[in-house]
Amino acid sequence: MISFQLSDHQQQVKEIVHWFAENEMRPISMEADRLGKVPDEWLERINQLGIQLSTSSFGGDKQKSGSGEKKKTERQGNRLAVIASEELGWGDPAIALTLPGPGLGGPPVQSSGTPEQKERFLSIFSRDEPPRWGAYALTEPDAGSDVSGIRTTAKKVEGGYVLNGQKIFITNGGRASWVVVFATIDRSLGRAGHRAFVVEKGTPGFSCTRLAHKMGIRASETAELLFEDCFVPDENLLGGEEYYQAKASGPSGFRVAMKTFDNTRPIVASMAIGIARAAYEYTLDLVRREYPKQGSFYHRASELLADAELDIEAARLLTWEAAWKADIGQPNAKEAAMCKAYAGKIALDVCAKCLELLGPIGLEQHIVEKLYRDAKIFDIFEGTNQIQHLVTARQLYEPHGVRV
Amino acid sequence: MVSFQPTEDEQAFVDLARDFAKERIRPLARECEQEGRVHPELVKKIEEVGFASLELPESWGGLEMPLISQVQILEALSSGDLGVVQGLPGAGDAASLFRFIPDHPLLASYKEAGQKGTWPTVAFLHAAEGEIPQGVTITSADETGYVLNGTSQPVRLAAFADYLLVSAVDSQGETLLLWLDRQKGNRWQAEAGDYRLGLLASGCARIRFDEEKISSDQVLAKGDEAKDLLAKALRRIQVLEASKEIGLMDAAVSYVTEYTAQRKAFGQEIAKFQGVSFTLAGMAIETQAMRHLVLRAAADIDGDKGEVAASSTLGRVHRALRFVSDSGVQLLGGHGYVQEFPVEKWMRDAEAQTLLYGREGELLIQRGEQLLDRKVPIEV
Repeated sequence: MISFQLSDHQQQVKEIVHWFAENEMRPISMEADRLGKVPDEWLERINQLGIQLSTSSFGGDKQKSGSGEKKKTERQGNRLAVIASEELGWGDPAIALTLPGPGLGGPPVQSSGTPEQKERFLSIFSRDEPPRWGAYALTEPDAGSDVSGIRTTAKKVEGGYVLNGQKIFITNGGRASWVVVFATIDRSLGRAGHRAFVVEKGTPGFSCTRLAHKMGIRASETAELLFEDCFVPDENLLGGEEYYQAKASGPSGFRVAMKTFDNTRPIVASMAIGIARAAYEYTLDLVRREYPKQGSFYHRASELLADAELDIEAARLLTWEAAWKADIGQPNAKEAAMCKAYAGKIALDVCAKCLELLGPIGLEQHIVEKLYRDAKIFDIFEGTNQIQHLVTARQLYEPHGVRV
Repeated sequence: MVSFQPTEDEQAFVDLARDFAKERIRPLARECEQEGRVHPELVKKIEEVGFASLELPESWGGLEMPLISQVQILEALSSGDLGVVQGLPGAGDAASLFRFIPDHPLLASYKEAGQKGTWPTVAFLHAAEGEIPQGVTITSADETGYVLNGTSQPVRLAAFADYLLVSAVDSQGETLLLWLDRQKGNRWQAEAGDYRLGLLASGCARIRFDEEKISSDQVLAKGDEAKDLLAKALRRIQVLEASKEIGLMDAAVSYVTEYTAQRKAFGQEIAKFQGVSFTLAGMAIETQAMRHLVLRAAADIDGDKGEVAASSTLGRVHRALRFVSDSGVQLLGGHGYVQEFPVEKWMRDAEAQTLLYGREGELLIQRGEQLLDRKVPIEV
């Protein structure tokens, strides 16, 4: 039956993550934004507690349930992931993105890696070791939303591939122990020529050339990566040669990249919802305590806050639906795009409404202005709002035989 | 556990409603609009299938369904044509009040009248709220009754009604719920105006009272009891109306998808122009988001959650309805504007619907005031 009631387990996860967000993330939030980084000692302590950002639950679930096996118990990993991510976004999205773990690099390894690769790359994240990160490198200076236009090359040589090219806007790219890198073996092959590699830190020819300075999520590291005659061994080709040779028209690196998006967009959407909720709750509280209870401002505030409440709720339900579909093994590309489009947009809208209510005091040391700066990227990364509309439209027109 | 899976019973009912909407309602939509009423044959069919008694109490022979099931069924039914659904005779919005007081002696004759399978029509004149005068005044004549005077704003089903449910605040500031029955001698005039905008089969009319005396035994409830009943009924009505609006939005998205996938310009399907496909995607996203809000509000009411965002949900759905129905016309271009295609009617019906069921801003403010007026914990 249709239900919006969290199960005991879901409620428990929400409460634990919220506690963490409120008591561990919030106290350092403004300072981390000022510093432009999350303090190392904080990350070490958090890692020792065993807290990581993992977005891998999406891929694994889908593959298993897609095979038509009867499920004994209903999977809920994806729903748990979005419930938890909302709380992390509420705490601080930049810090959330900096939590140790495979991050956005997790899903492609989980969904497309060989068993050996999964073991090798995903087992390094442990509370008993120093904090470690994974990363995901797709975007290039001339290829953002148009993933098929990537120019980083991978030339086959004895025992592996040689990578040449540049990647930009890579979250945790500088600090990552490994990065999933998308490159082409032959640009004339288009998407079929794409391959995904796991490039490990310290590999000769692989370097981080710059960290970007941004409007928001300043505490999150956004790196530029350079590959100069960087040799990557065969065993780091994600999925192995067999994965690409299985069928002539078989999977390409492009498909790995796209599948990753279906899996990570709901998580990114839920963080955006957390941001919106943080701004809304802060502003509601402030208006209730300090502003007049009558007059035109009161009516305006009532309208804006009621609207914000629904924006947040609608975005959350779209996101839960995308996660639920993944949990029950149904394709969720459309829902993933829809929730990301909606959540990315309302996150900024809600923050802007809240700033409007705060007025000039919103400029000084109120978390809402930071949330506003942080929110904007959620309408851009993991596919811009326009790309989400394109994906949604594609799904809508597919039954009518029109490819848009 | 969070889930978006309807029950098997709900799915079966929704499938039935969707087929009915497509095969029986949609083909008659224009004819009903021109005649200014829903075709009697269609009404009969709808009553037979049970769609007319989803909200009515079980003890009356109704289905007394949970709201979460009803909103899914009403959405499916309204995807045929909102104008037809809003023109269906019967208990109308009053059903949501009957649900709370099925054994009220004043309603016994209405209950009796419906036992043959056809529920007589009730119009709900809600004149108890709002800053703008509703046109009807109620005064205490003496200790035994009241007097109604004046002309109301247009009310759905008023032109067909044999019964009136009236909410009003008397000169002493007391909220009243009154039950008027033509057969028992109550008199009112239904003044149908020159309506052209939309929902033309829905029996809209102003209700005029000329010194109509109401005895105190025609009061269903008064004071706090009336307020409480009214609040409970209104939030159900708001959610049910919102679900009908989703039905229209869903119809527009489906129709426009099909049209733009076929229509060609500049040598290709217009779907391939991003100005078109992005607008369609926006319509679909908005519709799905609003569908979820309606389901959520319905689930909250079914679960007796004290505070439900029903009014703001309807206000927000009103805004989406305007956007989606307007976009539907826009994407069909000139064809969208002419009556050979249904989208122009949907846009008109949509606008009429939003006029009848509350202003977007006011509905949002109602909820916002609830949020702001919550007790603020005082830090010690």
